[in-house]
Amino acid sequence: MTTEITVPADLWEGETEGVITAWLVNDGAEVAQGDLVAEVMVEKAQYEIEAPATGRLSIAKEEDEVVSKGTLIATLES
Amino acid sequence: MTTVTKSASRKLTIARAMAEATAQEMRVDPRVFVMGEDVGPLGGVFGNTRGLFDEFGPERVRDTPISETAFIGAAVGAASDGMRPIVELMFVDFFGVCMDAIYNLMAKNTYFSGGKIPVPMVLMTSTGGGYSDAGQHSQCLYGTFAHLPGMKVVVPSNAYDAKGLMTAAIRDDNPVVFMYHKALQGMGWLGTEKGATVAVPEEAYTVEIGKAAVTREGSDLTLVSLGAGVHHCLRAAQALEAEGFSAEVIDLRSLVPLDRETVRESVAKTGRLVVVDEDYHSYGVSGEIIASVAEHPGCRLRAAPKRVAYPDIPIPFAPTMEQWALPNADKIVAAFHQMLSES
Repeated sequence: MTTEITVPADLWEGETEGVITAWLVNDGAEVAQGDLVAEVMVEKAQYEIEAPATGRLSIAKEEDEVVSKGTLIATLES
Repeated sequence: MTTVTKSASRKLTIARAMAEATAQEMRVDPRVFVMGEDVGPLGGVFGNTRGLFDEFGPERVRDTPISETAFIGAAVGAASDGMRPIVELMFVDFFGVCMDAIYNLMAKNTYFSGGKIPVPMVLMTSTGGGYSDAGQHSQCLYGTFAHLPGMKVVVPSNAYDAKGLMTAAIRDDNPVVFMYHKALQGMGWLGTEKGATVAVPEEAYTVEIGKAAVTREGSDLTLVSLGAGVHHCLRAAQALEAEGFSAEVIDLRSLVPLDRETVRESVAKTGRLVVVDEDYHSYGVSGEIIASVAEHPGCRLRAAPKRVAYPDIPIPFAPTMEQWALPNADKIVAAFHQMLSES
């Protein structure tokens, strides 16, 4: 089963774009639901993105790429 | 606080690695506490105290007024009285307002007391530029702190070393200055250096203060650097490999004590030395490294050594001017080409 990791709509106030500043897991690694996987920065504030499910991570948006709320940044295969 | 993944591939930014090392030591040692500007609920402007306030509260994670002399002086007193404070000087550039507390108190009290009063504290401070924060927020000043006896000085280039050096610094009975480069913190607005975010074990461990690392092995040239410069060297080594040259990269990790042996051994093998330093060119780390090689009786340099360092000017604010002044991989490659043309 494939689960998408998208930027949650309630992660920050407003519709400003953000940037992925760090992936805290390697592409292809196994992660558990609730694990912290990435950091997104919006106007000097940093937000955390957790894995919504357990599975094998496949990164779709690399560090330094611009993201909006709802952007698909990775998928999880289980 | 969200738990970071437990898989073997778990990576941390340097900011998170520093916070994790601090939290782990605070859990086992009630003498350890943190003081500084915005280290509390904000988690540090560079992210390195994130989560500590929530876990340990305002008694052990203390936001201070903007008076570096007062809180660094207070930390010296606390350390002299048996505590193990970690204090943050937000930008190393601010050392001018508190150097008496740092250098006449923190660094010397152990000596003045004949060793009876150790000062086991960590002074952590941010270094480096590249994001147009101008001349009073962008310096490295590695040479300034390493020059003055009485303090250990460490400079990590990646999150693994940052965690191990921070743990070692907290456990050390001497004052340790922990200098972290802003571009390596994993905070986007300061620049992103992917190579600094690496796999970090969850359990506590130390990286010995005073041991350099051979980050990449090579046979034609030795590149010596620290902090962000290590990543410039690794990119330069890759570019040189495409030209058929094999560059060894040494990450000093610690300036005091300085691991001269590892540098000398490498240069004995390669015969060529380029030192890369984001601190000022003159009277600094680059000159010390070259002198440490040249003054050794076993020195066998095949070419005059070179340095790629910051020009002797205050850091410019204009982005084009600042980028012109900073060390980078192209400048390192050019220095090596010039070395070959001269020898």
